[in-house]
Amino acid sequence: MAKPVVKKEYTLSERIYLWEILKGMKLTWGHFWFNFKACWRPGPHTIPTCWQYPEDRTREISPIFRGEHMLQRDDKGREMCIACGMCAKICPAQCITIKKAKRKEGEEEKYAAKTYPAAFEVDLLRCIFCGFCEDVCPKNAIVLGQEFEFARYTKEECILDKRKLLMNYRKAKEEGKLKPPRKRVPVVPAPPKPEKAEGGEAKKSKAAVAGKTKKKPVAKKKAVESAEGTEKKEAAEKEE
Amino acid sequence: MDDWLIAIIKVVGIWVWVLLIAVVMTWVERRGAALIQDRPGPNRAGPWGLFQPLADGIKLFTKEEIIPTKAQKLLYIIGPLLFSVPAFSAYAVVPFGDKIVLGGKEIILQVSDVNIGFLYILAIGSMAVYGVILGGWGSNNKYSILGGLRSTAQMVSYEVPLGLALLGIVFVYGTFSLRDISLAQQGTFLGFLPNWGIFKQPLGFILFIVAAYAEANRVPFDLPEAESEIVSGYHTEYGSMRLGLYLFGEYVNLVTISGIIVALYFGSWHMPYIDLGAYLGPISWGIVSFCIFFLKVSFFLWMFVWVRWTLPRFRYDQVMGLGWRGLIPLALFNIFITALFIQLTV
Amino acid sequence: MNQNPTPQTSHDTGDYVTVNIGPSHPAMHGTLRVIALTDGESLIKVDPEIGYLHRGVEKLGESLTYHQFIPITDRLNYCSAIPNNVSYEMAVEKLMGVEVPEKAQLIRVIMMELARIADHQVCIGILGVDLGAFTPFFYLIIQREEIYEIFEWFNGARLTNTFGRIGGVDADLPDDFEQRWEELKPGVRKANDETEKLLTHNRIWMDRTIGISAFSAEDALNWGFTGPCLRACGVKRDLRIDEPYCMYDKFKFEVPVGKNGDVFDRYIVRMIEMEESIKIIDQAYKRYKEMPADAPLMARVPKVIKPPAGEVYSALESPNGELGFFVKSDGSAKPYRIRIRPPCYMIYQAFPELVEGELIADLVACLSSLNVIAGELDR
Repeated sequence: MAKPVVKKEYTLSERIYLWEILKGMKLTWGHFWFNFKACWRPGPHTIPTCWQYPEDRTREISPIFRGEHMLQRDDKGREMCIACGMCAKICPAQCITIKKAKRKEGEEEKYAAKTYPAAFEVDLLRCIFCGFCEDVCPKNAIVLGQEFEFARYTKEECILDKRKLLMNYRKAKEEGKLKPPRKRVPVVPAPPKPEKAEGGEAKKSKAAVAGKTKKKPVAKKKAVESAEGTEKKEAAEKEE
Repeated sequence: MDDWLIAIIKVVGIWVWVLLIAVVMTWVERRGAALIQDRPGPNRAGPWGLFQPLADGIKLFTKEEIIPTKAQKLLYIIGPLLFSVPAFSAYAVVPFGDKIVLGGKEIILQVSDVNIGFLYILAIGSMAVYGVILGGWGSNNKYSILGGLRSTAQMVSYEVPLGLALLGIVFVYGTFSLRDISLAQQGTFLGFLPNWGIFKQPLGFILFIVAAYAEANRVPFDLPEAESEIVSGYHTEYGSMRLGLYLFGEYVNLVTISGIIVALYFGSWHMPYIDLGAYLGPISWGIVSFCIFFLKVSFFLWMFVWVRWTLPRFRYDQVMGLGWRGLIPLALFNIFITALFIQLTV
Repeated sequence: MNQNPTPQTSHDTGDYVTVNIGPSHPAMHGTLRVIALTDGESLIKVDPEIGYLHRGVEKLGESLTYHQFIPITDRLNYCSAIPNNVSYEMAVEKLMGVEVPEKAQLIRVIMMELARIADHQVCIGILGVDLGAFTPFFYLIIQREEIYEIFEWFNGARLTNTFGRIGGVDADLPDDFEQRWEELKPGVRKANDETEKLLTHNRIWMDRTIGISAFSAEDALNWGFTGPCLRACGVKRDLRIDEPYCMYDKFKFEVPVGKNGDVFDRYIVRMIEMEESIKIIDQAYKRYKEMPADAPLMARVPKVIKPPAGEVYSALESPNGELGFFVKSDGSAKPYRIRIRPPCYMIYQAFPELVEGELIADLVACLSSLNVIAGELDR
């Protein structure tokens, strides 16, 4: 196939190679000299663009970073998860397994709600850290923390059970790395005719809208069956 | 007997010294590249990562030596040897200082002052190509053979401008001996310019340095091992110390080439405008001249690193074009001008 | 010796050598493979083979709900995940007939243009690396790191952003966005400037790129080129202007156009596009600031997304070209079929045509200038 004829006139400085090469060398020398001076700075973080990672952990990690999971406790030290199973349902990688249990008498100190997860497993080998689980959690119980060092030796260690998740929370609390409550994204206000929401289905939209704007009792929320709309995030401001 | 002893000491000494520089060069290359690219580079092994070459050496020595099943064993094994032995032996005629007087005996700081030093360098330099082509052919890998072929074509082509550029120097100084040329570079001419080769042969210097980069397979002429095109070129299939020989050989080549550049074009061990030899004693002058020489050499070694991390790579046919259509006519022109000038002034 | 399969060709392979390049080769981005029939250094016939990174993304979409597919789209073009997310979300929104709030659209524009800059930086940096110039890569990649920082502070992920939700975005811009952006802008410009200084007028670079794998506008259109590769051929086609989405018609920016469609033009087009992206972000952020702080960011969408039965195709101008999603719904909570139209796929088809008769070194240059991303190509 005929290729288009290419004609480009080189200027003299381009033609003789050396001029542009010298200009380039001047530029690289500038970088070299800057970094050479920076090398003598005390501390592990010498060259501004590089962090000497294992020693130098001064790089600021975003507080909303999506790292290793943890299960939060409320300010009384009770587990907040109500085992509603929304996170397990929304998870694209299906890495969360929850076993639900009812709170018994005398366990009010341990669990915040009437139900609690008897088992809560997160498979880090499957997880893709999309953050949907924390997005969908009505109690802000499961969050993705700032921990990003996932290397483990065995497969079993990669499966976070409830104990490890709660431990992650304790560790984060001690280090002051708790995740700030997520800001609720404002939604377009309800149209004049609340019966019909745009989109395919209108049946449950009323409840959904109510859920977005005002608090609902916990018991009622269990009625909300399929919780795959992730924009909702009402109970972010917990019972505090 | 004494002469023998001195010769052996000089040979061993310079061999160790060049090897040492080559080893340090691997470190300089990495650190220099890193600093140019806004990163710290290897800084774990020892202070400032200075033991990194040592760690690399240990790694290369302790690795298993693998010969590919269908490789041609003999060629595969002698390839690195043929590459590194000429690299080490080329330094023999390059000086590394003026002279030193020990116990009333005058010792010139040069392994041997051959009166055809130039020809020796050119001859030995062309030997290296055998190592490359045999290694490339012997490893039975298509990338290797492409690298070997590229290298052969490039080295053979650039021998010509290299030799022609050197011819200009020979015209000017009227000798083939590197020591005599070095000695002739003392003092000034035209009243203010040092008597250095670069001022007498500016075009020749540029031609020589370009051709030397090509001979040493450095960027922008690193096509024989162009990583992104043919993986590693001729040493794709090599591992352990055989690979180490290729890599060390390359750095030793750099030292030799820098030494030649300094000896021919940059006034060898002379400082500009000042003759230190007149003020210093015979022993201290020997040491000082050695230091001056290697300061200059290290500048050119750094140039190799600096240029490498600045420029893109040529293409195969463009390298050939530059060599045959650009450098050789220029070199001939240079010779013509030099000859004319000499003819008119003498 | 013959461990490589011969290419399917009717050529008489007598004097030619088959060189198998890839799938693991320093210059084959990701896992591409090219079987080249060579005569010395020049390429007689080139046979690209794809599918080494095939993960069944489209089929995966059929067993996930509409929302669950968003993180999967991150993994298509991993150099710039955000346009992938947005393109998919736009397709579903179009199917549902949802109007995205203006402020959310502005955030999308800002983030997409940032992703475009990041993508072009990677592409140009890698092009440099493949042509032997290592240093510009680092200057560019440092700035990309700063862009990733903004992404990280926006919603917590750097590479696989999972940006946005169907009907809007998942987070507002961080409070210190303006400060970060003002810090980033001169950095990006400086890095581009330095890259230009090191490469553009360097004769070695010009020789290596000008006229290499040149393509005429007609051929490019016939092969279905889009994006910078098409614009380098001289066709002024940009979905941001031709079929505006996300309020792109409200911004003033130039669409750079090349002449020859060679590697150099693609490089220059990408360079200029980065500068234009900076302008777009500036304008978008100015509009964003004029909006009230509590302006909605999400349209009203039901929690379970069940679009009405039907099918829709929606495309946007991703950094590589037209990135389209075809979504067919049967009214259930899971899509009936998802088809992705990646820009690379169409461009890579023409690869044998582009490099035929060139040298092996040009094959590498051409491949990196096309910015073929294996994740997007193989899906």
